Amino acid sequence: MRVNPNYSNDMVNLMDQAQQAEDNAAQQLSTGRRVNLPSDDPAAEAAMIGENSRSASVDQYTANSDSLKDVLNTANSTLNSVVTALQRAVSLGTEGANGTMNQTDLDSIAQEVSNIKSQMLSLANTSYAGQYLFGGTSNTGAPYVTDTADPTQVDYVGNSQQNKVQIGTGLSVASNLPGSSIFSQSGANVFDALQSLVSALQSGDSAAIGTAGTSVSNALSAVDTAQVFYGTTVNELTSNETYLSQEKVNIATYQNTLVSADTATAATQMTQAETALNATLAAAAKVSQVSLLDYLK
Amino acid sequence: MGLTSDLNVSVQSLLASTTAMDVTTTNMANMNTPGYARRRVILEESTPSGSGQSSTGVDVKTIQSLRDSVLDLSINANNSQQSLNTTISTALSAVQVVFSDTASGSIGSTMDSFFSSLQQLSTSPTSGSLRSNVLTAAGNVASAFQSTAAVVTQAQQQADQSVVQSTSQANSLLQQIAATNAQITTAQNTGQSSNSDQDQLSSLLSQLSSIMDYQTVNSSDGLTLTTANGAPLVVGGKAYALTNQVNASGYNDVYAGGTDVTATIQGGNLGGYLQTRDQTLSTLSSQLDQFAFQFATAVNNVQTAGSDANGNTGAALFNPPDTTSGTATGAASSIAVALTDGSQIAAAATGAATGDSSNLTNMLNLQNQTIINGNTPDDAFSNLTFDIGNTISQATSSATATGNILTQLTNQQGSIEGVSLDEESSNLVLYQRSYEAAAKIISTVDTLMGNILDMGAVNPGY
Repeated sequence: MRVNPNYSNDMVNLMDQAQQAEDNAAQQLSTGRRVNLPSDDPAAEAAMIGENSRSASVDQYTANSDSLKDVLNTANSTLNSVVTALQRAVSLGTEGANGTMNQTDLDSIAQEVSNIKSQMLSLANTSYAGQYLFGGTSNTGAPYVTDTADPTQVDYVGNSQQNKVQIGTGLSVASNLPGSSIFSQSGANVFDALQSLVSALQSGDSAAIGTAGTSVSNALSAVDTAQVFYGTTVNELTSNETYLSQEKVNIATYQNTLVSADTATAATQMTQAETALNATLAAAAKVSQVSLLDYLK
Repeated sequence: MGLTSDLNVSVQSLLASTTAMDVTTTNMANMNTPGYARRRVILEESTPSGSGQSSTGVDVKTIQSLRDSVLDLSINANNSQQSLNTTISTALSAVQVVFSDTASGSIGSTMDSFFSSLQQLSTSPTSGSLRSNVLTAAGNVASAFQSTAAVVTQAQQQADQSVVQSTSQANSLLQQIAATNAQITTAQNTGQSSNSDQDQLSSLLSQLSSIMDYQTVNSSDGLTLTTANGAPLVVGGKAYALTNQVNASGYNDVYAGGTDVTATIQGGNLGGYLQTRDQTLSTLSSQLDQFAFQFATAVNNVQTAGSDANGNTGAALFNPPDTTSGTATGAASSIAVALTDGSQIAAAATGAATGDSSNLTNMLNLQNQTIINGNTPDDAFSNLTFDIGNTISQATSSATATGNILTQLTNQQGSIEGVSLDEESSNLVLYQRSYEAAAKIISTVDTLMGNILDMGAVNPGY
């Protein structure tokens, strides 16, 4: 059979292929990625888009958790101060109720309780990054204001709403606890209880002081109970962050399997391609050296 | 009579050897000429001139071109396919970059950032700076749609320019083919060799095959070339030029003799540019419009259902779309943020306090809702990435596969049509020897004739 005398076409083709393979391997080694453009592996690239988005979401959920924890921890430590102050008020009430004190002493105790009440007002109006911590979702002003008609009264002008923040796909937590569920719960209003204690102490009526002391104590335990929300939520956020960081690792691992180059394979491919290219070049140089013309006189 | 006829036979032989050497020289000279098929001289024993003549000479019957026209056709068809696929893959390669997962500012990554900014706002719904961030992120989404649409349009326009260029290249080739065709017919009618014209025709057809696909029919007045749907391109010595006409989309359609053949050209770079422009990119462009339109509509719907930081009903975040017309055309290239201040973001539910974030939750939920033709925004983008990547990848592997077939066919063609220097050298030696032999006979006859003439000389002493 006659063979194609023009082998240059074949040779060029083989050189092209070897060079292409070498380029490809070199690119994989230098970028560390097997897939650099959608056409390299359309399915892997499409999956990468989804994974990138998931990864961004996980990052954002983690960031949400972090900033939420800051807010909740601030609120929690505010409530710690509230509890300490109320405990002082309860012991002051007990002190005043035992009937051994004269009115001057009672008046000075009343003054201290009144101070606690003022402190309570300021604590209940704590804000963090421009937001009142205990005003519900209302942010038009301080949630607790002194009543204009009766300056001894403190009114709640916030609302009883909670906002939600997403910390995972389909998972969200309440980001605030309104003051109406902490300071001004019905039957356990901190300000009312403190005011009644102030009034009772000023009147010197031991029985009334005892009753008012009990209300303060009730208000204290109501605040205590409400405070649990913060601890629980922060715990939930912390354990969720652990989950999110694991999720982030999983996503990164999957992304690696999708598009990353296997360095060993790429290096081997590169060597193979280079060998093939060298062999083709050597063959091309050898094969065209002689023709019959060299042997004819 | 013997010696004279021997002389005649030898002269014939000399001439035949010269012709054979001419053919060998031509082969050697044209070994690298595109379209050239090696020739060989066909010799035959000449008919004796009279009865009883014992010596018969040699005649050159014909000079044959070793051309396999079926193989040539097959090579050209594959060439068309390869050229088509290479063109598609090259023309789209610039477009796929903006759909890559590493592209910064892609539609996908800016949408992720947009939802992240909303998430961030949900942790502090009244924060002015976080609200501004949302508007910035929304602006980035709009720019991503616009720049992606611009890349697609630019690629379409480039393909369109290439269509015009390829059309004019094809026309120039068609004219040359028609002229060569006419020469072949003339040569055949006058009994002359058309070998060199055939070689040229073969080279022209091969060049045309990388521009467009075509069909050939051989008839009495030479080759007839038509498009796939039968519109004539070359009939005998007449070329029917392709023309370009601008269509409703502002792109050039291709007409052959008044017939729109745009959709029927499915090979060569012309076919590649047309397919890229009218199918892949055109579909992509309208998908982007749909995407932008539906995304903007979904966000706007949530936005207008809520209430902003000033207690007002939310206004549309993006414009267009014009929801009344309901048409998506041009949405990707014109989408922009309509709001001017972060306070206009409707984070709160209607009637709720201004610090409420429940409408923000609704907006965040869009990320996982099938708002783009039954897909989530992210899936919609990832589908586009897959589609463009797959189109290029398929075109590239088709081009490689066709390339391998072409190599095989070209080798096959070379084994029939290709000039081998060794073979020609050996032929040269052969014809040289036969020339020498004929010359030897002539000198022998000359000597013999001299001997005869000497016998009758009056003064042999001269």
